[in-house]
Amino acid sequence: MPYNGKITPVQMAFLLHPTIVATALLLVPAMTERHAGRDMWLSPLWALMAGFATLLTAWALHKRFPDDTPIEYSERLVGKTAGKIIGVLFIFFYWHGSGSLLREYGEFVSGTFLMETPTEVIMGGMLIIAAYAVRGGIEVLGRCAQIMVPVVVVLFMTLILLVSRNLDPYKLLPMLEFGILPSLKGSIVPQSWFSEIIAAAFLLPSLTDRSKGLRWGVITLLFVAVILSLTNLTVLMLFGELAGRLVYPVMSAARYIEIADFLEHLEAIVMAIWVFGTFIKIVVFYFLLVQCTARVIGLSDWRPIVLPVGLLILISGIWTAPNLQQLVHALGTSIVFELLLIQLGIPLLLLAVALIRGKKGAPATAK
Amino acid sequence: MNSLISRYRAWLLVPCLALTSLSLAGCWDRTEVNDLALVTAAGIDRAGENAVELTVQVFVPRAGGGSQLGQPGSAAGDERSVVRSAKGKTIAEAMAKLQERFPRRIFWGHAEVFIIGEKVARTGIREYVDFFLRFSQPREHADIFVCKGEAKKVLELIPPLERHQAEVLRELSESKVSLHVTLKDLAEMLVGDAGDAALPYLTTLPPPVGKGQQHTIAYIAGTAVFRDDRMIGTLNQQKTRGLMWLRDEIKFSVVTLSPEEADGFISFYLLRSRTKWLPRIEGDRWSMTVEITTEDDVVENTTSLDLLDPEVTRALEAELEREIVRRIELTLKQVQQEMKVDIVGFAEIFHRRYPREWRKVQDRWDEKFPEVEVRVEVDAKILRPGVSGSMITRPKDERRNR
Amino acid sequence: MRNWIRRLSGQSPGKPQPSGTPLPSEMRSDPRMRTPLSAALSENENILRSVYADCSDAVFRRFAVGGQTSALLLYIEGLTNVEEIDRCVLAPLMLQTDQPPSGPPDQLANRQIPVSGTKPVADIAGVVEEVSIGNPVLLIDGQTGGMAFSLPKWEKRNLEEPKAEPTIRGSREGFLETLGDNMALIRRRIRSPRLKMRSMEIGRYSMTRVAVAYIDGLADPKLVDEVMRRLQKIDIDGILESGYVEELIEDHPWSPFPQVMSTERPDTAAAGLLEGRVAMLVDGTPFALVVPASLFTVLQSAEDYYQRFWISTAIRWLRYFFFVISLLLPSAYVAILTYHQEMLPTTLLLSVAISREEVPFPALVEALLMEITFEALREAGVRLPKQVGTAVSIVGALVIGEAAVSAGLVSAPMVMVVSLTGIASFTIPRYHAGFAFRLLRFPIILLAGTLGLLGIMLGIIAIVVHMCTIRSFGVPYLTPLSPARGSMLKDVLVRAPWWMLNTRPQPVGQLNPHRQSDNQRPGPDTGGEQR
Repeated sequence: MPYNGKITPVQMAFLLHPTIVATALLLVPAMTERHAGRDMWLSPLWALMAGFATLLTAWALHKRFPDDTPIEYSERLVGKTAGKIIGVLFIFFYWHGSGSLLREYGEFVSGTFLMETPTEVIMGGMLIIAAYAVRGGIEVLGRCAQIMVPVVVVLFMTLILLVSRNLDPYKLLPMLEFGILPSLKGSIVPQSWFSEIIAAAFLLPSLTDRSKGLRWGVITLLFVAVILSLTNLTVLMLFGELAGRLVYPVMSAARYIEIADFLEHLEAIVMAIWVFGTFIKIVVFYFLLVQCTARVIGLSDWRPIVLPVGLLILISGIWTAPNLQQLVHALGTSIVFELLLIQLGIPLLLLAVALIRGKKGAPATAK
Repeated sequence: MNSLISRYRAWLLVPCLALTSLSLAGCWDRTEVNDLALVTAAGIDRAGENAVELTVQVFVPRAGGGSQLGQPGSAAGDERSVVRSAKGKTIAEAMAKLQERFPRRIFWGHAEVFIIGEKVARTGIREYVDFFLRFSQPREHADIFVCKGEAKKVLELIPPLERHQAEVLRELSESKVSLHVTLKDLAEMLVGDAGDAALPYLTTLPPPVGKGQQHTIAYIAGTAVFRDDRMIGTLNQQKTRGLMWLRDEIKFSVVTLSPEEADGFISFYLLRSRTKWLPRIEGDRWSMTVEITTEDDVVENTTSLDLLDPEVTRALEAELEREIVRRIELTLKQVQQEMKVDIVGFAEIFHRRYPREWRKVQDRWDEKFPEVEVRVEVDAKILRPGVSGSMITRPKDERRNR
Repeated sequence: MRNWIRRLSGQSPGKPQPSGTPLPSEMRSDPRMRTPLSAALSENENILRSVYADCSDAVFRRFAVGGQTSALLLYIEGLTNVEEIDRCVLAPLMLQTDQPPSGPPDQLANRQIPVSGTKPVADIAGVVEEVSIGNPVLLIDGQTGGMAFSLPKWEKRNLEEPKAEPTIRGSREGFLETLGDNMALIRRRIRSPRLKMRSMEIGRYSMTRVAVAYIDGLADPKLVDEVMRRLQKIDIDGILESGYVEELIEDHPWSPFPQVMSTERPDTAAAGLLEGRVAMLVDGTPFALVVPASLFTVLQSAEDYYQRFWISTAIRWLRYFFFVISLLLPSAYVAILTYHQEMLPTTLLLSVAISREEVPFPALVEALLMEITFEALREAGVRLPKQVGTAVSIVGALVIGEAAVSAGLVSAPMVMVVSLTGIASFTIPRYHAGFAFRLLRFPIILLAGTLGLLGIMLGIIAIVVHMCTIRSFGVPYLTPLSPARGSMLKDVLVRAPWWMLNTRPQPVGQLNPHRQSDNQRPGPDTGGEQR
């Protein structure tokens, strides 16, 4: 049962890309540096493995149930009750996810730009617009992403270009000083981010051209890895070992730009990247939350619950952590397990059940 | 009907948002430019045993001589900035006290120059660097200086040419004549492998005769050298050049030498230069070869040499190379042998090339550094002898004699 | 809105008319209108006189055909060419015939009345309709039908240059107020008989003629049907301008963005038709409506296609840039000046600080004041007669530009920002579309004053989301950017040379995607120097 409306595979890629990258761009470099040190640029590449595992699982399940979202096929695979439980798990996951996402956004904005403005206002403003977009349905989301993501990518490249003259490639050396382990350790946090590609499982049924779904999923993952790796490289070449000590290294990088006495203090670019990117991410999470809820409860029309769900997200955003340190700490520890468990664990479990039962005996993955 | 209401509802948000915006527009982070005291430079001094004195230079937004209505060239032109200071246990406390003395909110977003008084520098600067990095308003690319005497005195100077002292210092450090260190660079040096730092060192230019004591500027007269975060000494400007050659930061240099085969001087103007470091570890012997390639123009020639002659040029190149090596070795002697601080950045270079060996000496680098054998190799090229060959103004007969 | 009208009138619109032009409902509800013309002339005359009671401009001319049979000629004074009536209708019937007319009226017309356009009418409604558009109607005693002659004539403007969309290169003809002339202006550009013009009447009292033009085989029949359906649903007392129609057929009536392209230029309308769009011509206005529209049809000018493509591409980019400026510059100024002072280069901030020192208002209020003043000046300049208009601009420039700054009420940078914004908003080629963006500027300024740059970004996101939501006759408003259609971007991001624009814009031109043959790139036949 796809959502009312269809999106193109490209639009799906544009929706999924910020879903992973948006928040990873700001917080993850510093978190990765803590473990990986100078090899932090390798970590996103390792993390790609989790991304592929999730995507292939989602694809394999999609092949078996081409018209269903995970909510429906989990019910069909593990029975009504267990399926509902999985559905509820997804609901709580996306609820918590979108809440902490909203909070990250609020913390960043009020921590670096608007220190005295209440975070609730900053989060609320975003949520109202997100609700408006979600009400428009998946087509509107796809179109928004198609407009905004290229802008974000261009802005990001501009940023890197502008900062490039201050870069010192020698700061990358020595590579792999302590072997491969630190970069692998550093990849744990990005892994959890990459597993967010599971959102594809919800979007695949509403593609106009389903056969291209996997291809564009893979392209998304590769592109995400490239962007994250590029970010880490830039940050590293600019700040060296200082990178791990800054909360938002990308932000500091933008502040460092100074060209011809005129182009300076380009935090606005980072803010634009961040706000546009997170908007798409919030909207995707929000939409999936609304969809999961409507499906688990069994509503015929999901539009009426958009606003109430938004309110719940706001509440979850306020409650999720008392301050930035705890939020970042949670993002580096417990949330990692939550993300991996729900986004990779459950789909793998479902796939295992499907394989054992051999339901719909369709040939396995496209691999 | 239903659809009508739902559409209507979405658009009701617009006036609601606009109304709330209006009502909220007075709150939170909004500050008008006229309510800000724009800090252009700040200085830190010691005040007693456990206190710091923070001095800020604040821009006075008053139209100067060229205003369209005001009397041109009015006396107010002098008062382009205000300097005030306050004391406190920490900078933040001093800052709070300073705020009490300003009717406007102190705004650090344009503070591009930080001056550290010599006394403070000698007791350690780590905590201040940390503060300026943590406090999000100052810029990471703000320039940092150490000054002779009190920073406050430097900020109180009234420069004749620029609008205020901060602009003077900024222009000076932009010109790359001397060391140029930003807040980020300093932080990087402090967390770096060696942990030693070098900052430009300011002294005050004597004021012209007949002018007040304050009508002058401070200029960069050398380098303040830090072991860890404590200043231990200075290098003069010539040795600073040497340091810049070593650090591959040299952008501007005029080398003057007196050639052996003729009287007078020839000055070379540096066009570009590139420094390469080749570290080497053989057993316990650590050595470093510094290879410098430089290209120069002749800007002044008071000798009788004909610079168009390739032979002469070759000889001069060799002399120039020797001169540069001499200068660098002079610096090295002081930095490596006397001061024993690695402000050149050899630690990083060895670390990159020999990570394993590095880890062994990591903790006793201070002892190891003076033992490193440094060899300087310069390859100088004279590209153009200026626009004329031999000295034009030399009397004709003298030229004929040659 | 439409529901509301429907309830009030108690009519169910959209019922297809049996034949001919559909009649407005007001006429259908009058029982007299449905009366067929009877053989007795006096009976017809009585009904018509009651219909046209107190219409001093209706002329009832009684005369005798061939000296015997009484006849009635009915026309409206000022709408009809009286000399031609005298010469071609009255003279032959009164002077050159002595026999009473026999046979149906069209035979008489064929034999004796040298007028090219004739049309039989069968009932009172038909008579009223013909008379109302200026055609005199002849009724003859003893015959059950009447005859209408196409002899309209009224005072009208000459062809003029389109005032709202002038071009340097390109046709200087603009639409007129007369539907017939406008149809002809389009027909002159597209002479193929596949150009169809379906007409209907809308407006209970105004009985305005509306023509729907499209090219058979290019326009999607579903689109044409949809346009007809939406037009037929309209039930309103009068249509005085195409703006009425526009608001009554839009997809998203609450949106500030125009979802219908209105143009004064026949060539623009013709270009739209050739792309597979549908045009609506409304009698009484020189503005044609073209659907479906998108944001980019609004940002393009006819001249883009007449100039060399390099120039057009550059101008398009200029236009996009200033489009953004017109939307964001004042708000960015407010946001940076009150929230993010560190983002300005130091020297620039210091200069701005000096100029703002004496200004008594917060930047937000200053910006709003100046923007509103500017809009007022613009509006005054448009409404006033030309001679006074210059006075207004002098006062505006002097008072706002000079006095306010030197009195220290407004800072000079703000004046520059406002005037730059003003100029930028005039680079949008369609004046009416520019309004939407000018209007949106104000909420964004308010947002900027509340949340700084974040406010601006939220504003942009809201606008983008809204634009992603709306459609014009089923076509997403941001096509071809989103949903992306790669092949169309060459007519949006750049203006590709004509020999590359082989396909019609999608999805409008789906039915017949190729507009020209491929490989038309011109070039010299031979190389080498010619003598």
